[in-house]
Amino acid sequence: MQAQWSTRLAGAGAGLVNGLFGGGGGMVLIPVLSRQGRLKDRQLFATSVAVILPVCAVSAAVYLFRGSVPLAAAAPYLVGGALGGILGGKTYGKVSTLWLRRLFAAFVLYGGVRYLL
Amino acid sequence: MKEWLIPLLCGALTGMVSAWGVGGGTLLLLVMTLVLGVDQRTAQGINLLFFLPTAAAALFVHRKNGFLDRPTVRQAAPWGAAAAAAGAWIATFVDPAVLKKPFALFLLYTGASTLVRSFLPQKEKKSGSG
Repeated sequence: MQAQWSTRLAGAGAGLVNGLFGGGGGMVLIPVLSRQGRLKDRQLFATSVAVILPVCAVSAAVYLFRGSVPLAAAAPYLVGGALGGILGGKTYGKVSTLWLRRLFAAFVLYGGVRYLL
Repeated sequence: MKEWLIPLLCGALTGMVSAWGVGGGTLLLLVMTLVLGVDQRTAQGINLLFFLPTAAAALFVHRKNGFLDRPTVRQAAPWGAAAAAAGAWIATFVDPAVLKKPFALFLLYTGASTLVRSFLPQKEKKSGSG
């Protein structure tokens, strides 16, 4: 019961962040699901993608409806993303991501400072 | 050629590492705004669209491998979708400058917690057949 509500609220928090900032919902969802301790790493990640996908679809629909997305500018990112996604999915678990994760964290911190100034 | 080649490469790279579980949907957004100089709201819109095919492709593979926990998806997705509609509505109405500071705090929190967690002992990180 309690886990159910924390899952729902984590979903809502992820949705709000995703809609407001155009991404990052997984950053809210994954730590909560991880703390619940029911799912292993791969399940945790795959499941969070499955939650974020409809969330993103709703956000994207609103952005499109409000005219905030130039499709021509988006196209090359999407093509690249699909290719990278397939490649990444196939190689998942075969690459150690520890240092990549730290590099990413440092880049996000840098981003935070840049946005704050 | 350069106008689409750099975005394509940035898309492929971020798509790949986010399929590995690194990036959390903010990596491309930050690359666009901080490195490529795309304006905030456009970058947010592109980032959202970007996630759809990338996630669908990754999800297809993950689902085939049986990694989805359906009860969690059923509980979190409807709440997430409702909150996303509200968040996206707000984001497309207010001045993007208003969201800069909250976004900065979110990034600082995210970066710090990702960094901290990367130093904690992992529970069977690379289990299974890889």
